[in-house]
Amino acid sequence: MRNAIEMRELTKTYGRNTGIREITMTVEEGDMFGYLGPNGAGKSTSIRCLLGMIRASSGEAYVLGRKVGREQKEILRRVGYVPAECFLYPAMRVEEVIGYAARMRGMDCTGEAGRLCDRLEVDRRKRIRELSLGNRKKVSIVCALQHRPELVIMDEPTSGLDPLMQEVFFELVTERNREGATCFLSSHVLQEVRRYCRHAGILKEGRLVKTDTVENLIGTRLRRVRLSGLSETELPSVPGMGALWREGEELVFSFQGEMRELLGALHGLDIRDMLITEPSLEEAFLHYFDR
Amino acid sequence: MVLTRQEIKMNLRSLLIWAFCVGGMCLGCLLLYDSVRESMDGMGELFADMGAFSAALGMDKVNIGTLEGYYAVEISIMLSLGGAMFAAMLGAGLLAKEEEGHTTEFLNALPLRRGSILAEKYTAFLVQLALFHGICTALILCGFQCMGQMPCWESFLKYHGAVFFMCAEVGTVCFLLSVLCRKRPLGAAVGLTVALYMLDLMCRVVPALEKMKYFTPFYYCSGADIFSGERAGALGWGIGIGVTALALAGAFCKYRRKDLC
Repeated sequence: MRNAIEMRELTKTYGRNTGIREITMTVEEGDMFGYLGPNGAGKSTSIRCLLGMIRASSGEAYVLGRKVGREQKEILRRVGYVPAECFLYPAMRVEEVIGYAARMRGMDCTGEAGRLCDRLEVDRRKRIRELSLGNRKKVSIVCALQHRPELVIMDEPTSGLDPLMQEVFFELVTERNREGATCFLSSHVLQEVRRYCRHAGILKEGRLVKTDTVENLIGTRLRRVRLSGLSETELPSVPGMGALWREGEELVFSFQGEMRELLGALHGLDIRDMLITEPSLEEAFLHYFDR
Repeated sequence: MVLTRQEIKMNLRSLLIWAFCVGGMCLGCLLLYDSVRESMDGMGELFADMGAFSAALGMDKVNIGTLEGYYAVEISIMLSLGGAMFAAMLGAGLLAKEEEGHTTEFLNALPLRRGSILAEKYTAFLVQLALFHGICTALILCGFQCMGQMPCWESFLKYHGAVFFMCAEVGTVCFLLSVLCRKRPLGAAVGLTVALYMLDLMCRVVPALEKMKYFTPFYYCSGADIFSGERAGALGWGIGIGVTALALAGAFCKYRRKDLC
């Protein structure tokens, strides 16, 4: 299986600030890959590096087997991009923007654009300035998908779309994925990644923390531990203990270490009740972001 | 040329407004010639005694009592200054408007090399400048036709060619500014144009500043100089061509390496 995306030690710095640091990862062709991280983690910076909009400070990247920066035109010809914030030319009509994007690719995408507009319920006669954020997003989606790209890069594509339209959007993306297109989905919404992606990468403060199948990422050893009858000072320190807080009479903490060690450390303490649970989806991902 | 066509289409209204305003003012002033001819005769004599001031406006070289002289002194300033302002604002907006309107991301996700984007934008700039001058020139010729006198074709074509090149030079410098800035540098573009025009006036009035004439493109496109048959120095033209080429090369170098957001 070839790689649709390959980043090697990709770094982007802005003066003293670092956008992304030494990101090395691959996305296989035909995969549906989720790219997760909090605001400012470097998701958009990575995407802009891949699209050649910003130049990496060091490292290199390949998209569809071609080197970013050197073969940018060929890369962009085969890629569709849905940006997080959709700014289009306000005075143009929707059909003009869609036609313009197609002509720039030297293609006549009238048929496919029409089908996409129908499914996303896009009014082609309206001017861009008359559209809401969600409707502008839909126009961006049509522009990104109308030429049937081999790789679809999406930066928070569902922001601004209503829940019904989000469903339609993922139907479209899933169809394209089934037809062979690789989908790279940068998102805050964990449920989206869990539901639609096979692999995911987690980004924190510009670094890639983890990349694995979504199944493995969720099936982590992380547990949430709730104890009654102990104070913070009585609780022993055990390797693997995460953030600690109090909820009413209960002490709550996340734990990722050896359960035997934790139980051994707690043995003999005056514990009234103890509950160990699997984390929620949010917790399963968010513990990667714990400082 | 899809981008060039789109760029022209998006600017068409502004182009027509500018062209018909500047060209219309020139036409209006030409049509007024008959009613101001007598006072122009008097003014010519009056200004002839005003030494440096007369030289600044070129009235020491041509007779503003004739239609051609009136055009060379009075009307050419409107075309030169109006054309330069239009070119400066057009050049300043070419790329910065994409960043200001946040459409850079849309544009740069399309399969075009950075160099092609710049080349197409610059072509659109030159086409619009040519259309602007075409409309203005047509209106001015209508004015001459209405007045029943046509100008000396050689001087007329030389003057309009020089003004077109001057506008291209000013616009190209502003095009470079457009690449360097994240917001449309309209204030800087208009300020630069006015400063260059003022420099031209100053170096004609103040002998100590004469050498500064090479720093302003208005110098080599003076209507009075051209209609009086005075040859513009090759150095002035050479500097003009050099500045244009450097500004264009600078814009290409910077834009190819620029981080867009």
